[in-house]
Amino acid sequence: MTRRVAIVGYGCLKIGKYGADVSENEMAIKAIKLALEDAGISRGDVDGLITTPNYLLTLGLQLSVISEHLRVTPRVAAEISCGGIAGGLALKHAINEIMLGYADVVVCYGSVKESIRFKNIAMIEPGMGLEIYDPTVQPYAVAGVIWAYACSGRRYMYEYGATEEHFAVACVRDRDNARHNNWAAFTTPITVDDVLKSPVMCSPLKLLDCSAARDGAAAIILSSEEKAREITDTPIYVAGVGEHHDSSSFIPTDGCDKSITTFVATREAAQRALRMAKISVDDVDVAELYAPFSPQELMLPEDIGWFKKGEMVRAIMDGSTEIGGKIPINTDGGLLSRGHPAMVTPLYETISIVRQLRGEAGKVQVDGAGIGLVHCEGGMLNNCMVFIFKRGD
Amino acid sequence: MSWPEIVYLQPKITGLTSKFWEGLKNRKLLASKCNDCGERFFPPRGLCPKCLSENIGWVELSGKGRLHSWTEVHYLTPKPYMLGVIDLAEGIGRMVSRIEAKQEELEMDMPMRIDFIDVSDKLTLFIWKPDKLPRP
Repeated sequence: MTRRVAIVGYGCLKIGKYGADVSENEMAIKAIKLALEDAGISRGDVDGLITTPNYLLTLGLQLSVISEHLRVTPRVAAEISCGGIAGGLALKHAINEIMLGYADVVVCYGSVKESIRFKNIAMIEPGMGLEIYDPTVQPYAVAGVIWAYACSGRRYMYEYGATEEHFAVACVRDRDNARHNNWAAFTTPITVDDVLKSPVMCSPLKLLDCSAARDGAAAIILSSEEKAREITDTPIYVAGVGEHHDSSSFIPTDGCDKSITTFVATREAAQRALRMAKISVDDVDVAELYAPFSPQELMLPEDIGWFKKGEMVRAIMDGSTEIGGKIPINTDGGLLSRGHPAMVTPLYETISIVRQLRGEAGKVQVDGAGIGLVHCEGGMLNNCMVFIFKRGD
Repeated sequence: MSWPEIVYLQPKITGLTSKFWEGLKNRKLLASKCNDCGERFFPPRGLCPKCLSENIGWVELSGKGRLHSWTEVHYLTPKPYMLGVIDLAEGIGRMVSRIEAKQEELEMDMPMRIDFIDVSDKLTLFIWKPDKLPRP
């Protein structure tokens, strides 16, 4: 790294359903305002503005509206898209621009009202978004993306002896954590039985096994190390970034050899990030994983390397991924309970880790958390990113 | 067979891959074969994934395969239906397809065979079912 980069501020809105009275632009400004206040800097300090797609069909020009509204004149501005990793790529672009010296203080934000477009991250109407699939997949892929994750979950049950109860325990863990998260969408306590009795979406997945598309806005401020030392006593440094795209889209169809229960993109991205950070996976104190459906809550910790394949069937039951366990996961509620504004979710995940590393996480604080990991994905884990963050010395 | 209540969506068919859909009408499962490098591949594509040649021909597949996984879809459909992932017997690719079977009849990696449904005058689709016949 030519220059170290740190997170020096964050702000976000409660995830939920925002009506017509507030626009995505206004939500963005509110989140950025909170982030500027958290960092204690003025708008004049901002020389980069990076965002994720916001569905407004503004041809990537929402940034212009935001820059005028904020009265900022960034040297670096971009709207970045690549499925669910868009938020991760926005962060990576900010990191790169700062490392290369193009900018010193960058605001990375996302703002979406996804609840009006999607439901349970399935499309509201049959056929919406069909062109994400190969034409041979299109005729029967009626229900958005749930079917693909459901097939992955079913195969995992067969290969490793998992049951629907094991998946449900992951949902309950996330919900228990979300109860202490002020911006989570779903905080009503649930039991394993509630999950098992919720309506079937695509078997073995029921309603409560699925994340729900919701509205949200979040902003993260990154800066060079030099600026970070001026801005804050608690900079959170970017220690590693890994990215990998497998040669596949949703269910891999080009050949029969690829697994749908272990994801090479997650494995590779994690290994790259850990190598860059010069740490082992067991050095990580707390993690946020992008699991839009409950079976992937079991697969991802295995792919990242805390457990061997199949071990999560036991580990989800014995508290290994809860606070106080081997590796606390999704201490903010994860996608399943925090709610899933996909174009902003990686930013919410990062905020969760920043709070842990600053020691601000309250009732879900992991004692002495010094190293945190954020994972995000696009497609069905065909492309993945992993970030390692470290508390400043 | 006909299945009037079948839930399906119109696939986006392009000129380069229209032969695949014509094949279904003729009760044939076709895969692409590159006339330059010889690569057989599925799903059908207008450019060879191995050498990017546009000189693509077609070969008929056996219509046999194995069930890699499945789900019963209850969402956005008037009636639940089975959707599965089929490993083609030739090993060159996978199909995502409606499955004609009850959930309790399905087993992982079980032999499957293709069948065809005329969903309209213009479109014939594939459907896979458990292959209960003794294998030759």
